[in-house]
Amino acid sequence: MSELSIVDRWLELSSRSLAQRTSRRGFLGTLGQALVGASVLPLLPIDRSSRAEAAEGHGKPHVDDPKQCEYWKYCAIDGYLCSCCGGTSASCPPGSTPSPITWIGTCHNPADGRDYIVSYNDCCGKTSCGNCWCNRNQGEKPMYRLSLNNDVNWCMANDNPNYHCSVSVILGVAEK
Amino acid sequence: MRARRLGVASVGLLLGAAAMAEPPPLATEHLDVAHLPNPSPHWAFVYDMASANQTDARVWIFDGDRYEHLGQIDGGYWPSVAMSADRRTTAVVTTYFSRGWHGTRTDVVEFNDNSTLLPTREIVLPPKRMQGPPSAFAVAYSADERFLYVSNLTPAASFTVVNLATGAIAGEVETDGCVLVIAGGARRVSSLCESGRLLTVTLDEAGHEAGRALSKPFFDADKDPIFVQGQPVGSRVVFLSFLGDVYTVDLSAAEPAFAAPWPMTTAAEHGHWRPSGNQVVAVHAGRKRLYAPMHAAGEGMHKEGGTEIWVFDTESHQRLARWPIDAKRYGPVVAVQITSDEHPLLFAVTETATLLVLDPDTGRLRHAEEKVGQSGWYLVSP
Repeated sequence: MSELSIVDRWLELSSRSLAQRTSRRGFLGTLGQALVGASVLPLLPIDRSSRAEAAEGHGKPHVDDPKQCEYWKYCAIDGYLCSCCGGTSASCPPGSTPSPITWIGTCHNPADGRDYIVSYNDCCGKTSCGNCWCNRNQGEKPMYRLSLNNDVNWCMANDNPNYHCSVSVILGVAEK
Repeated sequence: MRARRLGVASVGLLLGAAAMAEPPPLATEHLDVAHLPNPSPHWAFVYDMASANQTDARVWIFDGDRYEHLGQIDGGYWPSVAMSADRRTTAVVTTYFSRGWHGTRTDVVEFNDNSTLLPTREIVLPPKRMQGPPSAFAVAYSADERFLYVSNLTPAASFTVVNLATGAIAGEVETDGCVLVIAGGARRVSSLCESGRLLTVTLDEAGHEAGRALSKPFFDADKDPIFVQGQPVGSRVVFLSFLGDVYTVDLSAAEPAFAAPWPMTTAAEHGHWRPSGNQVVAVHAGRKRLYAPMHAAGEGMHKEGGTEIWVFDTESHQRLARWPIDAKRYGPVVAVQITSDEHPLLFAVTETATLLVLDPDTGRLRHAEEKVGQSGWYLVSP
């Protein structure tokens, strides 16, 4: 059998369009195969020291602030937060283009106690934003498991593959 | 009159003293360009992604004996880098756009002379090269340096074979979802697969595929994946797993051979201490030493960087030392490399782009050079 697993085939489709075209149970069932070991993990307290410049606030973690690395949706993000670059946690800054392919994660929202499947699309076509660097790796895997990897340039399939910043888009609630 | 004569004499003495103290003018200068000798094994080649302005990556060259910056090799957008065995050439595989940040994309490999720090040759590549974490396997020379293997990702995985004798693209080899290029033997290229196997493609003398084989699984990507940033040691490659096991693959024969993995952590440390960073393992074959940046942390902390460097005997598998790093001052260690000569230096790059020069026997910090670029996370070596 080809080494192209269901995860890799899934990569060929936009996660958003797949989610829209597939029943939720079927969609999450597919994701369940992709997310072995990555789902339903609690948000762990993380010492990111200087790696997360956006998270250098003191006191309680900024789990509800999309301009902070500790924002709950960013549990496996790697890059500049589009929230600090003219976009939001789910929209690309003006003039940039969303990546049609993506890596995915499962993050816990402490506000409602649910785990959500999120896609970490890159926004592409401009040079790197440089604001609010954030690297978190909950459930992240090396690039041979591509759909769970945040090291590669996910702008790779864009006409202009320049990496600008990263967003985290809710795809649905993770099944427990 | 006497008083006046005395006054005149005093002024004369003062003027004479002032004239004697006045330094001679500086010599005229002649503008020239520094030229480097043949590369020393003690030069560090620091890959700097220039993360805040990624179209401007570079490789910084720093003298680990004299603690001096020697120069830079420019790297374009998110390059992959390899060095020739004689250390005289740095191959930079990169991407340029005709209008700086947009326009026509050109993927190219530039061969830089490590003395002039300028490209002396280029070969244009198919515009599909992988832009990803730097490692020894993003681009690799064949053992005889007749071919260069360039990882591609579109996201379909493949590699481009560049014939360095002719300067032509020999072809592209699809790798069925397996990634990266690990050169082995004379004409073999192995790639890491999600199933925990190695896919090994054998090439003919023209650089075309002559055969392929999948190995048995040698790691479990679900339970304990290995970092892709392995360290070549002769015909072997050493990988670390997320939980700190050491995997050694021998590529000298047609079929890869896998040694039994061994742990860097005790049972009590397992899952609580882990390798962390980008270039997570350095090995000195002659001294039989392995170095790894380690971090006391749980799942999801495999890229934070090490707050300690652990040292092991590669034969007995005994831990010889734990060297704390002043991570509050320099940041945690994200890359380690030991030079391959008989009197080696241990280099480490921290998250704050500080290059540490360490004694590989004692861990003593010999030198800390801050701001070697902005986001160094790999040390290039042959």
